[in-house]
Amino acid sequence: MELEELKELIELLKETDVTELQIEKDGTKVKIKREKILSSIEIPVHKPSVIQEKASVETEDETQRLVTITSPIVGTFYRAPSPEANPFVEVGATVIKGQVLCIVEAMKLMNEIESDVDGIIVKILVENGQPVEYGEPLFLIEPV
Amino acid sequence: MVILLKSSDLSLEAIKSKTRGFIGKNVLFFEKVDSTNTIAVDIAEKSDEGTVVLADSQERGRGRLGRAWISPPGTNIYMSVIIKPTLGNENITLITIMAAVSCAIALRRLTGLDISIKWPNDIVLNNKKLGGILTELKIYDKKIIFAIIGIGINVNVGIDVFPEDVRKIATSLRRETGRVYSRNEIVAEILNEIDYWHKFLNEKDKNILLSEWQRFASTLGREVMVVTGKESYRGLAESIDNQGMLMLRLPSGELKRISTGDLKVLK
Repeated sequence: MELEELKELIELLKETDVTELQIEKDGTKVKIKREKILSSIEIPVHKPSVIQEKASVETEDETQRLVTITSPIVGTFYRAPSPEANPFVEVGATVIKGQVLCIVEAMKLMNEIESDVDGIIVKILVENGQPVEYGEPLFLIEPV
Repeated sequence: MVILLKSSDLSLEAIKSKTRGFIGKNVLFFEKVDSTNTIAVDIAEKSDEGTVVLADSQERGRGRLGRAWISPPGTNIYMSVIIKPTLGNENITLITIMAAVSCAIALRRLTGLDISIKWPNDIVLNNKKLGGILTELKIYDKKIIFAIIGIGINVNVGIDVFPEDVRKIATSLRRETGRVYSRNEIVAEILNEIDYWHKFLNEKDKNILLSEWQRFASTLGREVMVVTGKESYRGLAESIDNQGMLMLRLPSGELKRISTGDLKVLK
């Protein structure tokens, strides 16, 4: 059986309610099976308004644009070099690539985490003094 | 910044005559600095591994979380060692273990005193802090570019230079023994030990480092209080895991892994 024929069969199946199709031709057996697609079942849902839909699309775009700074180690997150000092950065601050954003400490190893990009701090995801895991997101930065 | 070759008893020649490996082959010696770690961080990227920044005094010696490290001239050791290990991120805490083991062995050998390690790497004598180690790391693209091991050892300092609250928790070799010790010998011995032990900073040999640490640890099996970030925990310091992190048995029976913190031995 040619590939094209197979494609046609699959397409055909999509347009129907048939979930399983078995064909034998020239000694070749083909069985096409598809799971029932949930969306084809009518479920009464609250349809979001157009405005809401648009907003959610924008958020998605924005999230994709943002750069996430993650912790390279397991440790404790500090926003400032000492408890009395000002934080390295605040939300809304403009930062440059290589600028120190925070410290993550593990067993008296002080690891200054730097920005990967030039940008603006959109969100600080961890509170000062909190434990962080390897790869845990710490900052969201909008590149400029 | 003034570079001096001699400062009281500290002598670059004397140190160099006693160092055996490549750690300490290149020593930058300053009479007075802000902090040896600050200088080491500045020069690390362009310096060879094993380069050491040594100072007779520090104006802004620092410990964890920006705390001051009292650093008067003519008495103690303040130095920062630049290493560039090829360690995976999951093993970087072994640097702390390695530094503590090196200092403890060097000091025990030279003094004959029962010097121990309090988790993770305080150097302790008679339940008081004799030395502190603070490491600063530069990681880029998940690789260690360099690690600066900052070491402060109270050698010949008198009790009077410490503020009242520090006197209760800190000490010096001279204060405990009444003897004056050679800083050159201690510097060289610590560098020789780092030269030996830093070769164990890898997945295959890390258990040797961890068991050496445990040999000198005064923390394990003790009831301790740990302040970590905003939390504090009381429990039994049961063991360390394969990264050197403290496994604390809480009264509830839960075993909690502690990555960071100030530890106080209760009994």
